[in-house]
Amino acid sequence: MTTIAKTPSTTARSAGRPPEPKRDLKIATGLSHVALVAWALITAGPLLWVLLASFKSNTEIFLGKPFALPNEFSFSTYANAWSDAHIGRYFINSVFVVVISTAGTMLLGAMAAYVLARYKFPGNRAIYYLFVSGLAFPTFMALAPLFYILKGIGLLGSFTGLILVYIAYSLPFTIFFLAAFFKSLPYEIEEAATVDGASHVRKFFQIMMPMARSGLVSITIFNIVGQWNQYLLPVVIMSGPGADQKLLLTQGIAQISVSAGYQAEWSTLFAALVLTILPMIIVYAIFQRQIQAGLTAGAVK
Amino acid sequence: MSVVDSPATRRPNDPGRSQQHRAPGHAKPKRRSRESGRTPWLLALPALVLIAGLLGYPLVRMVVLSFQNMRLRELLSGRTPPWVGFDQYTKVLGDGVFWSVVGRTVAFTFVSVLISVLFGLGIALLMRRVSRGVRLFMVVAMMFVWALPQLVAAQIFRWMTDSDFGVVNYLIDKLPGVDYQNHSWFVNPWQGWSVITTLVVWAGIPFLAITLNAGLTQVPKELLEAATVDGATPWQALRNIILPILKPLIMIVTTLSVIWNFGLFTQAWVLRDGHPEPQFQTLATYSYTQAFGQSRYSLGSAIAVITVLLMLGVMIFYIRQMFRIGEVD
Repeated sequence: MTTIAKTPSTTARSAGRPPEPKRDLKIATGLSHVALVAWALITAGPLLWVLLASFKSNTEIFLGKPFALPNEFSFSTYANAWSDAHIGRYFINSVFVVVISTAGTMLLGAMAAYVLARYKFPGNRAIYYLFVSGLAFPTFMALAPLFYILKGIGLLGSFTGLILVYIAYSLPFTIFFLAAFFKSLPYEIEEAATVDGASHVRKFFQIMMPMARSGLVSITIFNIVGQWNQYLLPVVIMSGPGADQKLLLTQGIAQISVSAGYQAEWSTLFAALVLTILPMIIVYAIFQRQIQAGLTAGAVK
Repeated sequence: MSVVDSPATRRPNDPGRSQQHRAPGHAKPKRRSRESGRTPWLLALPALVLIAGLLGYPLVRMVVLSFQNMRLRELLSGRTPPWVGFDQYTKVLGDGVFWSVVGRTVAFTFVSVLISVLFGLGIALLMRRVSRGVRLFMVVAMMFVWALPQLVAAQIFRWMTDSDFGVVNYLIDKLPGVDYQNHSWFVNPWQGWSVITTLVVWAGIPFLAITLNAGLTQVPKELLEAATVDGATPWQALRNIILPILKPLIMIVTTLSVIWNFGLFTQAWVLRDGHPEPQFQTLATYSYTQAFGQSRYSLGSAIAVITVLLMLGVMIFYIRQMFRIGEVD
């Protein structure tokens, strides 16, 4: 930790001294590298430890050598987690919910953001503020009433209810960023389309959506990550009769860690943790280029 | 892209065509002008309905609930709970425990956001100096942490700080002359909170660093070169060029971090095994325990309402700024 804290000041001082600028610059760059690699290790360290532990048996975990390699790399802990601890089912539930709700969020969010960013109509500002003020409220605030509302309309413990809630809670952030993004796009092409007689809906889907692609991709990733990470909302919503078949991955993990205390199935827990990270790695691998481009573009605004 | 280009490219080449379109009289533009009044609303409507129903209405209900006295009995029988006016609020505000929770939450938010933003900015600045390969490595490492569910991250930290088998005790114990075997991190609240803060900062930095790094690419190189030629020290360049340009972005991410960290729930909850001791309660966990643990639903709601008001009171200026930046007029 200390390396990182020191480096900026050292680099600044050494780079600022006039004589021997070249050597100093080299040192500064070298220090930057060292600091960043050290930091990356601190960042990734806990994850590596989990990966190692996920291949170990219970006895090995408790042996007291956290960084020792496991005796054999067997996937039996993963098989255990997948079938015995029902992680497989929860995994599929999670993927299902996140895919649909992210798609829904992006569609509804993009439509609303487009309108708010590009059209002048009475009430525009009021609606915009209504949307983005949702950003200011921590989720837990609305948990109790949300529970009763869903119970009232019979959506408690159903995927439909959860998906709708996910969409509603992701919309403020989505609209906030996408509205800024749509505003930054050029107006000429849209005007040309209007002259050519394109309808509003067609302009939106065939012209604005493709132009906003990088912004859409980065917010999509953001929503996938955010919704995949949800824990509190599913705990409240996925309750009631029959809900135990519909738990999500994060709930499954919480369940293992509670029951692991008695059955001592810690290796299963670590395998489940790795299984949770895996899809995000895949998403990242697929969208790596767009994430970089999108984040940059999103930041320009 | 061809879809995007075609209308624009077609227009100048084919002026007769667009005139033909206009020729059949006023019917078409008129229909469109009527449509343009409705379509914006139609496009925004689904999002509006969802937010109003699932975010707006619960908040209104929460406010209403805080003026009633909903206990388990009313909940089970479905009767309308009695109205009690400001009773819940006076109860909460007169409670010393509540104020200590407020103080703790504010202090935690301040410290954690300060550390995260400083580190995030520092890492973003360092990333500009290193080679492509290292930068890519950094981004990948950070993406992993960013993509980690809070619950999972909290579980990992709980295990690392476990008193019997935790890797942190194991490593500290290796230091000469230090005995950290079976050391419990959550007996002393300062140590416990430093574990929670480390977890939140560790998980929060990637978002900040990646966003700020993207923002740094917008700082014009010529400006920095000119400053160097004029003899500006790196510190001066940072203060007078980079920070002013980056200011709107820093403000947005800082405000978001404050909002997120102020609502700290999962991390404290998991690290304390679902039963946070009084010294590890934040406003979020406190409200939740009162409402669901003690079945004092109205009291919990009142705490939640006060939390929102507190946050808005402190943040209103920044939140307004953030919205204005987001508007880019």
